[in-house]
Amino acid sequence: MTAYLVAVGIVALIYMLLTLGLNLQYGYTGLINFGHVAFFAIGAYASALLTLSGWPMAPAFAVGTLLAGLAAWPIGLLSLRLSDDYLAVVTLGFSEAVRITIQEERWLTKGVQGLPGIPRMFQSLGIGEYAEIATLALLVVVNAAAVALVVHLVRSPYGRLIQAIRDDEVAVEALGKHPARLKVQVFMVGAALAGLAGGFYAHFITYLSPDQFLPLVTFYVWIAMIIGGPGRTAGAVAGATILMVFLEGSRFTRELVPGVSEVQLASVRIAMIGLALILMTLYRPQGIFGERKE
Amino acid sequence: MSAKGRPEGELLPPGGKARSAKGAPVSAKGRPEGAPASPGATAQAARAAPPLLAATGLVKAFGGFRAVDDVAFEVAERQLTGIVGTNGAGKSTAFALVAGQLAPDAGSVTLGGDDITRLSPSARARRGLARTFQVPREFTHLTVRDNLLAAAPRTSGETLSSVFLQPRRVRAEEAAQAAIAERWLAFLNLAAVADLHAGKLSGGQKKLLELGRVLMLAPRLILLDEPFAGVNPVLIGEISARIRELNATEGIAFVIIEHNLEALKRLVSQLYVMDRGRVIAEGDPAAVLADARVQEAYMGGVI
Ligand SMILES: Nc1ncnc2c1ncn2[C@@H]1O[C@H](COP(=O)(O)OP(=O)(O)OP(=O)(O)O)[C@@H](O)[C@H]1O
Ligand SMILES: [Mg+2]
Repeated sequence: MTAYLVAVGIVALIYMLLTLGLNLQYGYTGLINFGHVAFFAIGAYASALLTLSGWPMAPAFAVGTLLAGLAAWPIGLLSLRLSDDYLAVVTLGFSEAVRITIQEERWLTKGVQGLPGIPRMFQSLGIGEYAEIATLALLVVVNAAAVALVVHLVRSPYGRLIQAIRDDEVAVEALGKHPARLKVQVFMVGAALAGLAGGFYAHFITYLSPDQFLPLVTFYVWIAMIIGGPGRTAGAVAGATILMVFLEGSRFTRELVPGVSEVQLASVRIAMIGLALILMTLYRPQGIFGERKE
Repeated sequence: MSAKGRPEGELLPPGGKARSAKGAPVSAKGRPEGAPASPGATAQAARAAPPLLAATGLVKAFGGFRAVDDVAFEVAERQLTGIVGTNGAGKSTAFALVAGQLAPDAGSVTLGGDDITRLSPSARARRGLARTFQVPREFTHLTVRDNLLAAAPRTSGETLSSVFLQPRRVRAEEAAQAAIAERWLAFLNLAAVADLHAGKLSGGQKKLLELGRVLMLAPRLILLDEPFAGVNPVLIGEISARIRELNATEGIAFVIIEHNLEALKRLVSQLYVMDRGRVIAEGDPAAVLADARVQEAYMGGVI
């Protein structure tokens, strides 16, 4: 049971990192990103492949994070030219393109066969099952650091300006500012956080395959952000936790309700999430932590 | 509100433009005599000083429809100018062409003699040409104070690296800008609502907020698009007083689009009348409004 709770905690914290990144992009800056999972995948595969080829874990993580951030650069530039609806389609398309590339470039990624035997974090220390607890602890520290950085950023003049961009970009330009530079940077920082989350995921799951990086992951991160309230860092933390409780909780319902198959349950789960989202938008559009607007 | 509402001391940010704000000799027409308008303008000032703003032959068509059709106007340093015209006459479109939100199909715009036709809106703003919008574009989820601070001229706190690597410098600059913002908030009677989210302000307060925001730029010229629309008469008087005061003490020139002819007439020294994309009359406000063509086109002969 402890092992199970630790595992759930790790996944929740990975989602939290993803949510912090998306929240910076959408919640604070208003950038639509429906391809978040792509940067998660890039971070995961980069770190996995590098450690499998003998790199130590820390630099592999760093490269994965950096690559994910850099991969967002062209998308950030595109975001300057596209309206929100087109950007939604382009980012979604980008994430599918990344997934299909992973699937097709078998020489590198082993395609659908998947990438087994990725070194587990803290495995080399020989501490057995405590390796997972150590991973959990490290994730707590990394999330705390990420929260501290995001909070510092959004409370700075930089953070004020990105929120101004979210509220009215035309006005920001009329005041002598350049929204473009900030938008591209925020896209990259958010993607780097997703890349970092990807590294943790790869070295926790130890097996990667393209079907782990479906748009559904992006969807879950959006849900976590919306539950918590876009533009609230505490909301991102809470949203990811609530999402995880819900996803894991619905797993137990199968045992409570006999005769439901895994596939059926998956559909029910998505339907439930859809329902929750509709209720949220109707009754608490500002998220659980957002303040009520008149 | 009396002159008491004016903040003490220097209103412009320290190290701001070396433009001739105070004490510049001003002729009856409001033109500075000999005083250079900006650091780079000394050479031009030796000749006849160029107008602060000049638009010539501006054209903007949407589809086949010419919203602005060969419009020209000129604004002198420190001058108060009004633009009136029926709905859809092309006034706001003309503002967008001058401030850079729209690119003209033809024509040019100069600021202090420099061609700015191809500059981005932000480049124009940094040169001292600021504007407000007909439908207020406040930053809804920022506080009123943060709305002003967001407009503070480029500070190091707007670069990612400085935010993390030079926090003390960022804080010091922020404190300096906050002091300036505080004085403008007091000047515009917004101090009491400084901590409210801007989205919660009344229409009139939003107009004031937009004015406060552009004042943070220490501009030479402010374009106001319908500052009195939806504003109660008392507040209209107050905003007018503020505009006059900024003009007199800071030397800021204004171009004001308004449907409220009474309030506008008392404020400006020059008036343009637009109709169907064209300027049909210009000059002294009283004379222009008495013009038969204006009465017919603008008022449909109502007056
Ligand atoms: N982006 C646009 N696309 C198409 N038509 C436009 C656009 N902007 C303005 N127009 C049209 O151009 C004409 C001039 O509009 P503009 O907003 O400049 O008028 P205005 O003089 O400011 O009017 P009002 O007093 O109502 O504000 C109008 O007929 C308007 O419908
Ligand atoms: Mg208009």
